[in-house]
Amino acid sequence: MRFSLREQTWNISILGLVVGLTLWRGNQLPVFGSYEIKTILLGIIPIALLAMGQSLIVIGGGINLAIGAEAILINCITARFSDGTNFLTSVKWALIGILIATLIGALTGWVISKSGIADIVVTLATSFVLIGLALFVQPGPGGGVNLDFAQTFSGKGDSFIAPLLVLFLPIFLIWLPLQRSRLGISFYAIGSSKDAAFLSGVNVARTRILLYAFGGVFAGICGVSLTAITQAASPFAVISNTATLNSVAAAVLGGVALSGGVGGLFGPALASLVLYYIPTIMLGYGIDPAYSQIIQGALTILVVLVGGLLRARGKR
Amino acid sequence: MKNLLEIRELAKNYGSVVALKSANFSVSPGEIHALMGANGAGKSTLVKILTGVIQSNSGSIKVNNFLVNFSSPDNARKNGVAPVFQDPALIPDLSLRRNLKLTNTDISKFEEKMIEFGLQVSLEEQVSRIELPMLRMIDLARALAHDPKLLILDEITAALPANLAEIVIEVMNKEKQKGNSVIFISHRLSEIGEICDRVTVLRDGVDVDTFETKDGDENRIVSAMLGSKITQNLSGNRVSTKADEPIMQLRSIKDDNQLRDVSFRINKGEVLGVVALEGQGQDSLFEILAGERRIASGEMLFNGSRVHFSHPSDAIELGITYVPGDRKSALLPQRSIRENLALTKFPKIRNWGWINQKTEDSMVDKAVKNLEIDTRASSQVKRLSGGNQQKVTIGRWITTGFDLLLCFDPTRGIDVGTKNQIYTLLTGLSAEGKSVVLFTSELREIELVCDRVIVLYGGKIVVEYDATLCTEELLLNAAHGRI
Repeated sequence: MRFSLREQTWNISILGLVVGLTLWRGNQLPVFGSYEIKTILLGIIPIALLAMGQSLIVIGGGINLAIGAEAILINCITARFSDGTNFLTSVKWALIGILIATLIGALTGWVISKSGIADIVVTLATSFVLIGLALFVQPGPGGGVNLDFAQTFSGKGDSFIAPLLVLFLPIFLIWLPLQRSRLGISFYAIGSSKDAAFLSGVNVARTRILLYAFGGVFAGICGVSLTAITQAASPFAVISNTATLNSVAAAVLGGVALSGGVGGLFGPALASLVLYYIPTIMLGYGIDPAYSQIIQGALTILVVLVGGLLRARGKR
Repeated sequence: MKNLLEIRELAKNYGSVVALKSANFSVSPGEIHALMGANGAGKSTLVKILTGVIQSNSGSIKVNNFLVNFSSPDNARKNGVAPVFQDPALIPDLSLRRNLKLTNTDISKFEEKMIEFGLQVSLEEQVSRIELPMLRMIDLARALAHDPKLLILDEITAALPANLAEIVIEVMNKEKQKGNSVIFISHRLSEIGEICDRVTVLRDGVDVDTFETKDGDENRIVSAMLGSKITQNLSGNRVSTKADEPIMQLRSIKDDNQLRDVSFRINKGEVLGVVALEGQGQDSLFEILAGERRIASGEMLFNGSRVHFSHPSDAIELGITYVPGDRKSALLPQRSIRENLALTKFPKIRNWGWINQKTEDSMVDKAVKNLEIDTRASSQVKRLSGGNQQKVTIGRWITTGFDLLLCFDPTRGIDVGTKNQIYTLLTGLSAEGKSVVLFTSELREIELVCDRVIVLYGGKIVVEYDATLCTEELLLNAAHGRI
């Protein structure tokens, strides 16, 4: 699998930005060791997983504004039913949670395909339904999870190996094989040109359902990771909204074109680090975190703007 | 002989609009069969049904005597039917390799075909960066790599440079020798008799004539296509109206792409022809004239005064209008004929911000009548046939009024009847004192409608001829750089 030069350049620039910000953040901290790396990783895992799910859907020509709500719902389900259980029951509920998210994704994709209504409308409405369900399952903050299970995710002591695996395993186990498969190419195809994809023999409706289902897988893993890291459920609409917006921002920053058909999942995973650093570094300087939201939003707009200008120049 | 493909009473309608009434059609093994028809005759509909893009309402399709129902393009391909469309069905954002993988194409077979064609392409190249003629050849190689029994070539030779068109014809003959069949759709009548064994002509959704090409000629095709309508022969009737007064002059124009030292003039009331092979800078030239592209050096004069275009609206304001080659990019596909026709007129019929419905109605009705636009599918322009769409793109500027009309290959993929209407339209405009610049890929049109002709080769004007005095052979030589 070869990448286009432009995609590479973009990833390298983001990597440069990440390295720069890491050094900056490292400079703020008195010590920068294994524990600090672990903290950073635990901070970005939910953002990165959600960003990957969103990126996949955007590559396929859609957008899922309910992806944050999907994650929150799974967080609530797993935290409620795993509370005080043994390791195996927690694993069982984690798998059930991921399955539920997958099915919700598939259902969303089915509704979009059959109704012909814009993705943005269907998923915005879905997000309200899902948050309502989350509150139904877990009316307030609470719940928990088996401690061994939590440590499998977040690692014991200062070791950052476990969270690193949690971050990269989905890329290696889901994305890399998918990208090489005909299904993965079909995702790019329907995002690039639905008509040409149809003429090339792609079943557009079925592919779109699978697209949203795969997005759901990532949202489900994100929900489980929230449960494992926080060892609690947080059924708040604000969190889900911010998470959704962050996922779109990371996708855009990570080189995924909002028009579909272009990009990958490595870029967005890296970009989520940028989104994590902005508020943390500002907090390190004692600046009101509200400013970081402004910067984050402005940065996203800037990237979209620069991308648009570059494309316009390419056409001239 | 047993038929490879047999179609009986195939019909398709969209609501009340009948696209195909009752088509009968058969293809024998080892036959090249031409499918002809004026725009709106149901040809595209028939092809779409045969390739699984849409499904028929009634009638039957048999392949090798077995009833089939092509439920999707993939399904049609598995039944041995492989289409190559005028607009290649490749995913623009993917590399060629991934496109081939998407259609489960055997890569080594594909490469073999490309070598047979004598063409080279990198599999890692992104499709959006490949030129259209090359893409069509790639699409053809891809179709052949699936070893189809029946190849459907829909307007593949339109706007294809001569050397590539020859390769396509070779391919068709090779398939024929192997015992495979080809359905060939083309508006170039001269190709039909040379290449095809039989012809079926569709008119108003019915097959009106089928005959072996040795039993009939181009005239039989044309009269079957047109029915009661008589073909107009324009040549000889034209009166040159050119005044020797220039409306626009270009001096040493250069752009950052391809054009070098281009100088010519367009006179008032003349039709100036532009001839060039694919990719010789004609696209840039038209974009410069229309204000879409900026020049690097040189100057342009309009009615004697120097002009500088930074936006197409600057050119439109001076009365220069552009009818681009891609009809889709000029129209609002989802809106009605009425709105599309009135669109360019909006600035003039607005009355304190509101559009005067009465003024709009009368203007639009006049244009529809003058241009004989088929208004059966008037609610959405995208449902019109190609020829009728083209009439709308030209018609909208006629309702607006202009001094200089730029037409880029306006008759590409259009039937003979509509072509003649467009020729009449263009010569009529020049008789009224308007000027027209016409790029065409059909050399015959130069003699029919133009007063003068310039030939572009490698970004330069190589020669200028009096259109009434030059031959197609002369033009073709010049277009290849041989003067």
